[in-house]
Amino acid sequence: MIRNLPAKWDLEADVVAVGSGGGGLAAAITAHDHGASALVLERSDQVGGVTAYSMGEVWIPGNHLEAALGIEDSPESGFAYIKRLSMGYGDDLAILNQMVHGPVALRFFEERIGLKMCVVRDLPDYYYPHVEASLAEGRCLEALPFPAQTLGDWQSRTRLSPHVPYGMTHEDIFHNGGMANMMKWDYSVMAERLAKDERCAGPGLAAYFVKGVLDRGIAMHTGVDVQELVVDGGRVVGLRASVDGRDLFVRANRGVVIAVSSYERNPGYAKTLGHQLDPVSMVMPTIDGAHLRLAGQVGARIARVPDVSMLGFHVPGEEQEDEVALWRGALPFMGLPHTIVVNRAGKRFANEAFYRSVYFGLGAIDGATQTHPNYPCWAIFDSQAREKYPFGSVMPGEELPEAMGVTAHSIAELAARIGVDAHGLADTVARFNDYSARGEDPEFARGTFPWGALMCGDPLQQPNANLGPLLEAPFHAVRLHQMAGGGIAATGIMADHHCRAIGWDDEPIEGLYVAGNSVARLDNGALMQSGITNARGMTHGYLAGRHAAGHPSELLQEERLRLGLRERA
Amino acid sequence: MIEAENSIVIGAPIGNVWDYVRDISRWANLFPGCRECTVIDDRNSRWVIKVGAGGLVRTVNVMVRVERWDGPERVDFSYALEAEPVVGSGSYVASMKEPHETQITLKVRVEGSGSMAPMWEAVSRPLLPQLAKGFSGTLKTEIENGATAAVASASATPARPSPVRLTAAWLRRTWQKLFG
Repeated sequence: MIRNLPAKWDLEADVVAVGSGGGGLAAAITAHDHGASALVLERSDQVGGVTAYSMGEVWIPGNHLEAALGIEDSPESGFAYIKRLSMGYGDDLAILNQMVHGPVALRFFEERIGLKMCVVRDLPDYYYPHVEASLAEGRCLEALPFPAQTLGDWQSRTRLSPHVPYGMTHEDIFHNGGMANMMKWDYSVMAERLAKDERCAGPGLAAYFVKGVLDRGIAMHTGVDVQELVVDGGRVVGLRASVDGRDLFVRANRGVVIAVSSYERNPGYAKTLGHQLDPVSMVMPTIDGAHLRLAGQVGARIARVPDVSMLGFHVPGEEQEDEVALWRGALPFMGLPHTIVVNRAGKRFANEAFYRSVYFGLGAIDGATQTHPNYPCWAIFDSQAREKYPFGSVMPGEELPEAMGVTAHSIAELAARIGVDAHGLADTVARFNDYSARGEDPEFARGTFPWGALMCGDPLQQPNANLGPLLEAPFHAVRLHQMAGGGIAATGIMADHHCRAIGWDDEPIEGLYVAGNSVARLDNGALMQSGITNARGMTHGYLAGRHAAGHPSELLQEERLRLGLRERA
Repeated sequence: MIEAENSIVIGAPIGNVWDYVRDISRWANLFPGCRECTVIDDRNSRWVIKVGAGGLVRTVNVMVRVERWDGPERVDFSYALEAEPVVGSGSYVASMKEPHETQITLKVRVEGSGSMAPMWEAVSRPLLPQLAKGFSGTLKTEIENGATAAVASASATPARPSPVRLTAAWLRRTWQKLFG
């Protein structure tokens, strides 16, 4: 039994949220609105967490906003979709818990904090129409633009994203040619939003929750680095943090909610818990596994689900906070027309327009040689792609910076310069060009996932949004680097249905809750779906806040009985 | 094209302000995010600037050219980003408000070119006023602090000049008589 009580407490609240992304803020707001006091501790000097870095999508099957548009859906249908795609690595009740509470949490925050969301029209589920219970639209929501000037002093302390065009909604983008066609976007809308600091996407979503916290007078403390939990016997009763080198003891009368995202900035954790070797990362440097160190202290159990590494690249001269190099995800660019991804043999190995395909292919191991045959890999594209599409922040028509990639006048020269098999690459390009002429990709089925056509392709490209030949010199190659999941991780802390951390004995650890990406993804299993992560954070925070405040939700039990599911799989 | 303008009153004579701003490397030192300035000649310099916008910090190289040194009242300049299709121009205008007060007005214009010009201008719109204001404010602080330091230094001077000071003053006067 641990007992590390301090001589005196410096701060006190019923519920102490560690981390200021969607999960932590949702927990503090919910606890407050159920009669408990709350405060939020944030390690960096800005609030909003990884939520603010995201596209701001929130994926909630059976939400009332899609119902209002006449789209038929239900939590049960969402459950069927996730269960099928989780490949048995998930937990039925965990999946159901998210499906049941997602719509409820959404309504709660709409009513309580003025969260305003809408359906992202025409944005399908990843696996639509290939998997039963998938939908063409309706489940993916986004926040309406948030007026950040209402945040007062916190306006500049609420995080923005270097990754997303947060002056635009999905609708603004999709109605003007999609992600690929930046040249066709209406920048007058963006200019007006940026001038007024109206935030869309992840920064907008996070800002709604920051405003909710501010409106309630819930204190947010930044620059607070939580070092350990304070435990009295079997119960977590507070924590010790470091602020400018001094100890700060914070008492939590009813619970500590750990919502600090994942561990991807910790290379050791990434290797051993995520099987990612020296991955680069797109998130902030503080995402280094603090939840594991803290909850591990009281014996919290961890779990791992099958997961992928992503691919990323660095545009020279770009940094995020603390002069850390900024890495951008390759997802939106790999599946564009006139673009392929190849391995050392010069061969494609996956559907580049559907990142699930690429990233599982990336992790493949050739047992005969004990190598990763598909890593390293390169994005190869021609001048048509360069003229029409962005590649990260390198805008259409701009020269590819020398330090970013290689440019050559022929495919053979390009192969030689990057050390890829020249015959293999020439053969691959010839075949891909043939597929492009035919409008179909018999090898990897590029263009057959509507989500990939919209998000990773050029919707204006006919007949296939993801196919276009590599014909026109100069040709370019950008080495893609293994990248962690942007806060989404294979391993997390196991939690019960109230988001209480559980120990290796499967019993809840009193006084300790987890939320968002800090929670093991047993509610997804082997699946990832855009918008699930923000939905999880919001829902976990809601559940943890309610339970910690003494008002636990009973909805899961009702739904479990209705569906005849066993209490624990 | 977008434009921003910022006016500010500096508590120093126009001549003192000019003494400060006539050196382009000082402009660079005051510019928010400027990390390096290489003076090529009296008119041309190359600045390395870290520009922060929306969580992204980007290092850009900027060629700055002074089109007109017309002190102490006016400086016209132009600039071009090396890697992006963005150019701009601007002016510094100073006028005496009081004998010990100078009003300066800084105007900066940005113009994107090519197919992505609207994007560059949209991104620059909220940045430009901040940059103009930041620059003017820092300029004011630097000069006024310098003036304060000079005043403090002067007030600390003994009422009766030292022999060294008297000799130096005599040498200066003699030099001016001889060589103008």
